[in-house]
Amino acid sequence: MSILVIAEAAGAGFRPSTFELLSHARALGEPASVILVGDDAANKEQLDGLAAKVVTVAGANLSPYSADSWVDVLAQAIQAEGADVVLFSEGQRTRDLLPRIAARLGLSAVTAGMGLTKDGGSYVVHRPAQGGKAYMDLVVEGGSALIAFRPNSFATDAAPVDGTAYEEKTIDAAANRTPVVEQVAEEGKKIDVTEAAVVICGGRGMKSEENLALLEELADILGGAWGVTRALVDAGWKGADHSIQVGKSGKTVSPGLYFACGISGATHHIMGMDTSKVVVAINTDPDALMFEYADYGITGDALQVIPEIVKEVRAVKG
Amino acid sequence: MKVAVLTKEVPDLEAQVRVAAGGASLDIEKQRVLNFFDEIAVEAALQLKESAEAEAYAVTAGAGTGIDALRRALAMGIPGAFHVDDPELADANPLTVARALAAFLEKEGFDLIIAGKQATDDEAGLIGPMVAEILGIPCVVGITGLEASGSSVTVTRLTDAGTEKYEVPLPALVTAEKGLFEPRVPAVTGVMKAMRAKIDKYSLADLGVEAAPPFKVLGYQPPAKRAAVKMITGEPAEVAAELVQLLRDEAKAL
Ligand SMILES: Cc1cc2nc3c(=O)[nH]c(=O)nc-3n(C[C@H](O)[C@H](O)[C@H](O)COP(=O)(O)OP(=O)(O)OC[C@H]3O[C@@H](n4cnc5c(N)ncnc54)[C@H](O)[C@@H]3O)c2cc1C
Ligand SMILES: Nc1ncnc2c1ncn2[C@@H]1O[C@H](COP(=O)(O)O)[C@@H](O)[C@H]1O
Repeated sequence: MSILVIAEAAGAGFRPSTFELLSHARALGEPASVILVGDDAANKEQLDGLAAKVVTVAGANLSPYSADSWVDVLAQAIQAEGADVVLFSEGQRTRDLLPRIAARLGLSAVTAGMGLTKDGGSYVVHRPAQGGKAYMDLVVEGGSALIAFRPNSFATDAAPVDGTAYEEKTIDAAANRTPVVEQVAEEGKKIDVTEAAVVICGGRGMKSEENLALLEELADILGGAWGVTRALVDAGWKGADHSIQVGKSGKTVSPGLYFACGISGATHHIMGMDTSKVVVAINTDPDALMFEYADYGITGDALQVIPEIVKEVRAVKG
Repeated sequence: MKVAVLTKEVPDLEAQVRVAAGGASLDIEKQRVLNFFDEIAVEAALQLKESAEAEAYAVTAGAGTGIDALRRALAMGIPGAFHVDDPELADANPLTVARALAAFLEKEGFDLIIAGKQATDDEAGLIGPMVAEILGIPCVVGITGLEASGSSVTVTRLTDAGTEKYEVPLPALVTAEKGLFEPRVPAVTGVMKAMRAKIDKYSLADLGVEAAPPFKVLGYQPPAKRAAVKMITGEPAEVAAELVQLLRDEAKAL
């Protein structure tokens, strides 16, 4: 049995979910091989002891990132490496690449994975069914399959391995066919809501766009990210971008801690957050549906309660 | 320009879902609709039909299902629809669905194929880019802007770092993200026309596609039930203090 992990760089290291996948492979007793493409290899030493082997791939057309070139290089590298399962982290890049690599190599593909276990000679993937109204266990039999996992699906504390082998490869990738003609960078984009360990989400009960700063303040002090309901995106509140909308037609998050501030608890919102581990709801209406999906509930005005929570966390954290 | 929209029929977002037969199957309320993101894709095709005189078609693959999705696309104003209908498409491996759609699209020949970002039932986001890869054409996933310009389209998407615009030579496939267009509501005349429309059918054999082995499902479970909510009451400062203490000591979430 063998596991291959496609690592993804972020900032001066890797996405947290890369460490989750590597840790889970060790927990299954099958320390992974890792593929690192192009500039993603810059901080490869951070994977020391976390993987059995690290394969770095350099070559033409890899930087800057383009889907065409990366599909080509990863398809070649995955085929050369071979594995029973190839694990990706859910995210924009994986959405570009995984389906195309699967189609090119004729491999099965599963996305939105939340758990991976072994059952005899097969791997079993736990994932939502019917938009999270149920869950299912899918058997990935024989051959290889490409599987993407949602961030925050696995712990990162499995024991390290002794010694990691390093291998360098050169693969020239196919040229990109869809050139970027314009790029607008947004300043100060912080932690991605899907990746964050803590998500502070606000709804119409936040009353006005100025008050969204309260969400950000609490998120900052807890080292998390903030998000909004669709109601705020549709209302065009400043800062309430679709990229941080939590729910059916936005992002699916499953952080360790989720705050629903002034959110009624509509099904379409719940579908995007119900796998969060601990949920806190703050709502003026004691009968708000949101309380049914929460572990801790506060009946009160979010605009008054959030600043007090910020103060309290500050006091506790010193 | 000849445009095809990949339309999937899915259970309504409000449909009740129950785990049945001791976890062996799902019992899904039979209210079926055109996938949320595919309605946006249909609207995009209609915009191209109206602004760039594109020909527009809808195509769906299903095992006896999919007609309602096609009729919705027709009612919105898509002139022609095709149905790949085969029993082997029930709970099929996504590779099978993608191969079937790609075989059909190849046969008919299209300049631009528009799929949804993902289906609201399986939330997979696989079929669009898989079809593109099988056809060997460029693909941009999750677009929020689309403009036709002769032999190419210019598309916009939101990335983790901001916004990017790409020039995409045709033929190509794009997938529609929320925000691309607001789908129109069909007019009554459209609905009547859709009811009368003739929809051509193809089987996997007609398209020369062999089904890939489907996944085996070990079982289904209902969503994990949360313990009853613990309500915290008092003045803002009091509830904040109690919450933080509970999050730290009881939930171990801080
Ligand atoms: C196809 C489809 C897809 C959708 N996708 C999404 C999605 O992805 N994400 C999403 O969020 N929604 C989605 N929706 C919309 C969803 O159905 C709800 O309309 C939306 O989630 C409601 O947002 P809200 O909770 O902010 O607002 P409301 O429902 O208006 O709730 C506001 C809440 O705030 C409380 N409140 C008021 N004042 C205060 C205060 N001072 N302090 C505390 N609480 C207060 C109120 O009691 C109320 O419960 C979708 C809908 C459709 C049809
Ligand atoms: N059976 C199908 N028939 C037609 N189009 C489909 C089918 N399944 C998926 N699609 C298209 O592919 C997109 C992504 O679906 P999925 O991979 O199931 O999340 C959908 O939004 C549709 O545009």
